[in-house]
Amino acid sequence: MKTCLIVDDSRVVRKVAARIVRDLRFEVMEAGDGAEAMRMCRENMPDAVLLDWNMPVMNGLDFLRSLRREEGGARPLVVFCSIENDAEHINEALRCGADEFIMKPFDADILESKFAEVGLV
Amino acid sequence: MQEEVFNELADLALKSSGQAIPKSKSYLIEARLAPIARREGFGSMADLVHCLKSRANPIFAAEIAAALVSKDTWFFRDRDCLQRIVEDVLPKRLKASNTGRLKVWCAGGSTGQEAYSLAILLADEMPPALRGAKIDILSTDICKVVTEKARIGRFGHYEVQRGLSIRRLIKHFTRLETGQWEISEDLRSRVSFRQHNLLESAGGLGKFDVILCRNVLPSMAKPARKRVVESLAEQMMPGAMLLLGSGENLIGITDKLEPARDFRGGWVAAGTANAEASAA
Ligand SMILES: C[S@@+](CC[C@H](N)C(=O)[O-])C[C@H]1O[C@@H](n2cnc3c(N)ncnc32)[C@H](O)[C@@H]1O
Repeated sequence: MKTCLIVDDSRVVRKVAARIVRDLRFEVMEAGDGAEAMRMCRENMPDAVLLDWNMPVMNGLDFLRSLRREEGGARPLVVFCSIENDAEHINEALRCGADEFIMKPFDADILESKFAEVGLV
Repeated sequence: MQEEVFNELADLALKSSGQAIPKSKSYLIEARLAPIARREGFGSMADLVHCLKSRANPIFAAEIAAALVSKDTWFFRDRDCLQRIVEDVLPKRLKASNTGRLKVWCAGGSTGQEAYSLAILLADEMPPALRGAKIDILSTDICKVVTEKARIGRFGHYEVQRGLSIRRLIKHFTRLETGQWEISEDLRSRVSFRQHNLLESAGGLGKFDVILCRNVLPSMAKPARKRVVESLAEQMMPGAMLLLGSGENLIGITDKLEPARDFRGGWVAAGTANAEASAA
């Protein structure tokens, strides 16, 4: 089974996302900020990361930059997830190594479509 | 919903667009007509039907009829098929036609995602064999509202995230103040849109090299399907191909078309599939 790490400081968002991602047959891990997510990745590199932008401690962009520098950190497919949805923000996420980008709010159709886009489903 | 109210609306759908709505799906009728009922201030579907009959207003009836049909669509629905049209079917047609021009028709194209997806593929991944060709894409739908929306080319938050990669979104769309995304002028200029009922003659639309009629026929009654398909067949140039949605077929519907030999889901004029395969 593929693994997906969901990184978001909102428990509600994590819960909703986790349910959708489980339905897509992933084993789900959750982290409340970038620093926690980083620790989890070092222990167990996931196949996919669903990543929020604004988080305390370590935000999504900083997490992504350090993930991509980690050993094995180029492999996970990272789907950024943000309420910031102008072209500038999107481009920045892509430059930092995101594979796809979801504009919040999202539903199961969008998540599945984006996972399909990067070949995760 | 009362039996006679359901019957009245199902009958209208069948006559106007060929849709067969089974009684088990009467909830669909309520869901699709709710916005109109709210706007017009009807308390129930019975009030709406009463008004429909007493007003005898063809514009209102057409609006109701169009609202009864599913418009669901998304960008790059069945991507493989769209890709093969661009990479394979169109180049072959171009080679066979000698005019340097190709005409594609999305019949029942809803809000335009199907036609725009083709236009995006042609813009981003134009195969060398198609360079210099003039490719016209026409998308038609029975519903005036979706046709107008398609023509304007503005899509909402959910629509642009179904089937469209983020790179394509930022390459081909601009975000408006309203939060909607507008498709580029270049892509809009590659596609034209017209309101058209597939139950009526399509003679005025001309002949086409490729016709897509995807996810339109399955919800139609069998006689309507036959009528639509035979009218589409009339608009096919010699050697043209009709493409249905995945899992759709015409067995038992018409003998004017037969499955294309080298393209699953493709249909060609009866008696030509073998000739086509040997010419290719
Ligand atoms: C489910 S959508 C499919 C859209 C698109 N072809 C796709 O595959 O995504 C079906 C469309 O067919 C249109 N339609 C249904 N009956 C029609 C008719 N009699 N004439 C023209 N369009 C019709 C509907 O209005 C709707 O927009």
